[in-house]
Amino acid sequence: MDPMNYIVLAALLFTIGAVGVLVRRNAIIVFMCVELMLNACNLAFVAFARMHGDIEGQVIAFFVMVVAAAEVVVGLAIIMQIFRTRRSASLDDANLLKN
Amino acid sequence: MNPFAPASPVTALAAPIGGGEAGVFWVLGTIVVLGALGVVFSRKAVHSAMSMALAMVGLAIFYGINEAPFLMVVQIVVYTGAVLMLFLFVLMLVGVSSADSLVETLSGQRLMTAVVALAFIGALVTGITRISVGDPAGIAGGAAAAGGSIPWIASELILRYLVAFEATAALLITAVLGAMVLAHTARTKKRRTQREMSEDRIRGDHPTPLPGPGTYARHNAIDMPALLPDGSVSQLSLNPVLTARDPEYQSQVPDEVRAGRAALPGGGSDPTALKEAEPTEADEHTGDDGSRGAPPAGGEAAEGGDTGEHDENGNGQEVESSWTR
Amino acid sequence: MTPFETDEGLSGPVITSEAPVLDWWLLAPFLVVFGAGVLAVLFEAFVPATRRRGLQIATASLALLVTFVLLVLQVGTLPEEGATLVAGVLAVDRTVLFFQGTIAVLALISLVLIAERRDGRDAFAAQAATVPGSEQERAHIMAGSQHTEVYPLVLFAVLGMLMFPAANDFLTMFIALEVMSLPLYLLCGLARRRRLFSQEAAVKYFLLGAFSSAFFLFGIAMVYGYAGSVNFAEVRAAAETGGAPIFEDGNGEPLLLMGIGLVAIGLLFKVGAVPFHNWKPDVYQGAPTPITALMASCTLVAAFGALLRVFFVPFGGSFELWEPMLWTVAVLTMVVAAVVAVTQRDVKRLLAYSSVVHAGFILTAVVAASTDGLAGAMFYLAAYGFTTLGAFAVITLVRTRDGGQELGDIDRWAGLGRRHPGLAGALSLFLLAFAGIPLTSGFIGKFAVFEAAVAAGATPLVIVGVLSSAVTAFFYVRIIVVMFFRDPEEEGPTVVPAGMLTGGVITVGVAATLTLGVFPGPVLDTLLPSNEAGPEPVSVMVDEASLERTAP
Repeated sequence: MDPMNYIVLAALLFTIGAVGVLVRRNAIIVFMCVELMLNACNLAFVAFARMHGDIEGQVIAFFVMVVAAAEVVVGLAIIMQIFRTRRSASLDDANLLKN
Repeated sequence: MNPFAPASPVTALAAPIGGGEAGVFWVLGTIVVLGALGVVFSRKAVHSAMSMALAMVGLAIFYGINEAPFLMVVQIVVYTGAVLMLFLFVLMLVGVSSADSLVETLSGQRLMTAVVALAFIGALVTGITRISVGDPAGIAGGAAAAGGSIPWIASELILRYLVAFEATAALLITAVLGAMVLAHTARTKKRRTQREMSEDRIRGDHPTPLPGPGTYARHNAIDMPALLPDGSVSQLSLNPVLTARDPEYQSQVPDEVRAGRAALPGGGSDPTALKEAEPTEADEHTGDDGSRGAPPAGGEAAEGGDTGEHDENGNGQEVESSWTR
Repeated sequence: MTPFETDEGLSGPVITSEAPVLDWWLLAPFLVVFGAGVLAVLFEAFVPATRRRGLQIATASLALLVTFVLLVLQVGTLPEEGATLVAGVLAVDRTVLFFQGTIAVLALISLVLIAERRDGRDAFAAQAATVPGSEQERAHIMAGSQHTEVYPLVLFAVLGMLMFPAANDFLTMFIALEVMSLPLYLLCGLARRRRLFSQEAAVKYFLLGAFSSAFFLFGIAMVYGYAGSVNFAEVRAAAETGGAPIFEDGNGEPLLLMGIGLVAIGLLFKVGAVPFHNWKPDVYQGAPTPITALMASCTLVAAFGALLRVFFVPFGGSFELWEPMLWTVAVLTMVVAAVVAVTQRDVKRLLAYSSVVHAGFILTAVVAASTDGLAGAMFYLAAYGFTTLGAFAVITLVRTRDGGQELGDIDRWAGLGRRHPGLAGALSLFLLAFAGIPLTSGFIGKFAVFEAAVAAGATPLVIVGVLSSAVTAFFYVRIIVVMFFRDPEEEGPTVVPAGMLTGGVITVGVAATLTLGVFPGPVLDTLLPSNEAGPEPVSVMVDEASLERTAP
């Protein structure tokens, strides 16, 4: 099997996540799709690390996980704050800033 | 230790991908892609979260196959176990009832997105599949030289990527600080002491505690009303959560005193509202899900209503509920 | 731990076994800002509320001042070709020092704006966790609550901004991007007035920012796959030899192409180029104006520093791969943003679109890919930073009739020039600088950038740029006309008296704009490295280790 198959899988997951960000209206689901994209990047890093025989890719993937965790905290705090105000996490309602 | 310089470093380490791994790749890959599609296309938000968990665990297994055991464990423990659970918590608190239709706001938006996505993935795949790579080098050789894959990761992390490591600390501090700023309110008034609360109660209209449900009755279940000294039902003891869900749950309460309106969550039962309950309302309400009062703010779905009823501990003794004053 | 370190470049695994050598002197600016941020968080925890604000402001401003002084001193002590720090993870050379110094100064001035308080109330929400319009919020406003957490957040954002242009590998750059962005997402949601707008702006900025970071990261993954390393120098070397050894016949090119494209998407988002500019108008309008000032000045400088670095160092040899893409983006940015800006009614949105147009102008310098282009971009960014800070400082002063929230609608600014000539005059100067009128710093910046682009053969870009400049001049002059040549309305704005702080910011803005416009010589001459001139690809930012590595 071609090791690049992992990269194709990662690209596929990345695209699915990107489509999710563009299509969904619920802010939390949109953010979950962003997390899916980050996971796809991690898969690519790990697969490349194995291909090159160097652990650098795994170290990078590890850092990405930490960054994603911090981002989740901040993002969910912001989304919860907006929910508390509007009683809704839907992005369609967030349309005061128009034009 | 012999110097780490084989004649042809890459091919000497080559660890070709076996047939077993190929099989696992196709099966697990399909599962992960299905999970990802589930995240994007599920109607219910919680289903999305569960599909995400499936995808993440699948990815963790992939990491294990790709000679990254540390990352496999970290993915499951940290990413799936902490980050995704945080998502799930926030979803349950916030996002379950949010309006989220998959109906597009711009007509044709979904078609356009699909076309763009197909184009993107087509470009990626045709680009990537034209690349031919030899066998992957595999981590085993380097890990052996470094004394194991985890010591290798550790040394790279601390000795080489020191700046990134410390900067991540700044990131985590920011995250915690931000969560505090956005979620924590300080007190403007001093907290009322027990003495003050007690003084207010004595000065108020009922110095004694109000009867809990079932008190003075022969049963002590929460759906039994308390009886006043003259044998009549005490309105104040009717559980507002039960009455909001289904008047049927007030099984021993006579029809004419059953409450038909929901009370606010967390507050005491409102005696005036209960007294206004019409007897005829109870007849209409039998078995009708629509009668379950106005949903309290917070969007509790109907199926979540059962959790509020049973304030009993295992012995059947009634635990003091917060619904009554 | 193995007693030896094998580092055979691209042909074997890298096992680090010794602690890196830490150059404390060169690391000092980062450590000062980081330490001040941590100290500020400790103050939040342990200092009583009454004394917190003064202490936080003092700490933050002292830290930024010390950082600036350290950076200036480092210019003298730095070797000509620069240095890499901590095992090649950070690179410091004169260009980087310039960017970092600019960021430090602009952040210090923004801090002055952030610290401004009127009637005991600053620009930030009394208690961000309360629901806008609720009883609880009113209680906190009456009690005079304030969020002094703003200061440590600003310090961490500045730390990220200092690291972003100095990163020498993609991982550090990604982490710096996140360290810079996360505090800004939070700060955007903390406005005191119009909190709903502010929260919405924070959500939009966050989601779009996270989306673009994911693209950036996937691009890094592709580059890593192509090159076998994320270090800039090694990527450049790999690009020249056709990729990592595992690619047969050097056919890993698609990975590099994809990597460049996706990394560019992430960076162009941060810079605000079309078609990734959608966040700018909403975020600039919704965020508290001092934070908008911080973002408009410092984030732009940091992002361009990183963009220049990425396109000149690791991708410097692959010029033909990214040049067409950047041409397209530059043209789109200059044209689309200028056209859309003409229709804007709100002054903050207008300035957001104008910052997109300016990003387009600076992109022409990136396309030029020469030392002249680099110097032009650096001057432009510094000049623009001061001007934009002054402009936003003026905007914080123009309020509605009751002196409450800011009045953004330009048409209601009629007659401002008659009643407050000084303020309107300052704003006019800033707007003329944006438009690129001679005798202002904006003119010199544009001239330097366009001259470099022409010298590099990008004349069509310059033509588009000049035309776009004319369009932008139209709406800048329109504001000036509204202010000076229209009669004041009944419902006109009130101008709150500028305190010492805001007045100081405006004065500094005016001074910088005029000085750099009339006497740009000293600055321009020091920006251009003395021993390199001409349209060759920039080599001033390549670190010495990579020069050794690529030498045969």
